Amino acid sequence: MSISLPQTGMWALYAREVKRFQKLWMDTIFNPIVSIGLYLAVFGVVAGDRVIHGVPYLAFIYIGLLSMNLINASISNPAFALIISKNLGTIIDLQLAPISPWRVGLAYALAALTRGVITLFVGVLLTAWFIPLGGIAHPFLLLLAIALTGIQFGIVGVAFGMWAKNFEALTFLTTFVLQPMIFLAGVFYPIDSLPSPWNIISQFNPLHHNVNLLRFAVTDYADGNPWRSLIIVITLLVAATVAMHYIVKKKLRAE
Amino acid sequence: MNPLSIQHVSKTYKTPKKEDLLAVDDVSLVIAPGSIHGLLGPNGAGKSTLISLIAGINTPTHGSITLFGLDVIKNPEAAKGLIGVVPQEVVVEMAFTVQEVLYYFSGMYGVPQAQRQARIDQALDDLQLTEKKHEKAKNLSGGMKRRLMIAKAILHQPKLLILDEPTAGVDVALRQKIWELVRRLNASGTTILFTTHYLEEAEQLCDAITLVNHGKVIKEGKLKDIQQEFSKNIIHFELFNKSVSHPSDVVATGSEFEFPMTNLAQDMNMITTHYGDNLKNIRSEAASLEQIFLTLTK
Ligand SMILES: Nc1ncnc2c1ncn2[C@@H]1O[C@H](COP(=O)(O)OP(=O)(O)OP(=O)(O)O)[C@@H](O)[C@H]1O
Ligand SMILES: [Mg+2]
Repeated sequence: MSISLPQTGMWALYAREVKRFQKLWMDTIFNPIVSIGLYLAVFGVVAGDRVIHGVPYLAFIYIGLLSMNLINASISNPAFALIISKNLGTIIDLQLAPISPWRVGLAYALAALTRGVITLFVGVLLTAWFIPLGGIAHPFLLLLAIALTGIQFGIVGVAFGMWAKNFEALTFLTTFVLQPMIFLAGVFYPIDSLPSPWNIISQFNPLHHNVNLLRFAVTDYADGNPWRSLIIVITLLVAATVAMHYIVKKKLRAE
Repeated sequence: MNPLSIQHVSKTYKTPKKEDLLAVDDVSLVIAPGSIHGLLGPNGAGKSTLISLIAGINTPTHGSITLFGLDVIKNPEAAKGLIGVVPQEVVVEMAFTVQEVLYYFSGMYGVPQAQRQARIDQALDDLQLTEKKHEKAKNLSGGMKRRLMIAKAILHQPKLLILDEPTAGVDVALRQKIWELVRRLNASGTTILFTTHYLEEAEQLCDAITLVNHGKVIKEGKLKDIQQEFSKNIIHFELFNKSVSHPSDVVATGSEFEFPMTNLAQDMNMITTHYGDNLKNIRSEAASLEQIFLTLTK
């Protein structure tokens, strides 16, 4: 009854999930990059040389778009994998294996973070040369913000994938919940430029704080206090983890 | 420490009409270390449900289950790590090759990376899947997929191996191979619990059996004892002309007939008188598991 046994198990599950998206590298790498490229092309033409709060507009939305990608990849990677495995019946592997539910969830969330980071890295490599970024203001905070955001939405993706019965539910989540929240999170504009009450409502959009934190880390500009955003992100991560544990535990053992 | 101890376990499912379906009904069962135990019963008897409860993927409505003294509900991870399970339903990953499936699954059971490849190669050899090592698991034939499921269950060298119809859909020669493997694992100390609908396989392999029907245990014990108990109770005979009237309780089994007796002399006498010269031969002998099964689940 070695205590270390489940840990090995968790890392093997993590490695398996990384392998799974590695096999879909076109999807993993190029889909998000094409979408970022298109957004930048369109907004670059429209916005020209505009500057927002001292940040070139192109750089402003660039960070927003990368954040959006990270969040999307982190949610959909585990959600897809889990819904497919429920449909195929291979979910039984997770039920049989001696890995505790929260570790199962964490393995999937870490794989999601890995996918998000790889996408981010390749995306930046391919596009950063034409963005007037001018360096990274807070590199360590940036790493922390990426890790927290990737894991947070990875965990949300795990909880959702375990809970959802089919892909319709996932489409519903991404189209009707996630997409609007991303657009209202201040990806394309600073939320203080919104008319009241939308600028207030946006403060309650959890995604706003992820985007805000990431943008602050790169550009030193924040919509409101960045440290408050950091605290909110950490709080939401903890809450999401608790909810995820409960859902995974319930779903991995039939009542 | 007994590999498996089930105490008064019941499982109720809700049907779509919200009625209760008692799939496992107050089952108690202990499996001795080192034995090969057959769990037998007709379709829908509750065998797979019982296995899902033992494997900790389903929760009993009542009762408790321990694996090597560990409670499956209270200590699920530690308990699960000690057993290997081959589920009845064959499922395969779409994305992975046979090698990858085995590599990651054994990892999930905590097999250290350094030991995985040797164990995988051994299992592939045992189950004659070596040639398919780099094939996508989804492209295997049905019987190969089932053998892959068996390979997955043995890589972490479980102390109790549970196989739910491991030979369904497997050809005759390979079925022999699978049972050879099971015997070998048993000889090296693995306790075995399995279900099958091929009763002659159970007869050849089992030390003990548990016969279930409608969720209840209807017979259990050493196979030899059960056979002995039944052999005293059955008279076999052959007839020259089969299309004659029979005493009630006579059952035709192919070329033979059987009669469940209560008193040897009296019943032999009754049969010889009834058929007279038509009787080709008559004897009482050990009942086959099939006969016992049919008698008890009638
Ligand atoms: N998840 C479930 N929900 C509702 N009823 C179920 C469920 N699983 C099994 N049952 C019912 O429980 C009963 C026992 O099923 P089980 O699969 O345990 O039988 P079995 O002995 O394994 O049969 P077989 O030999 O056909 O595999 C059946 O009536 C079945 O319909
Ligand atoms: Mg079954």
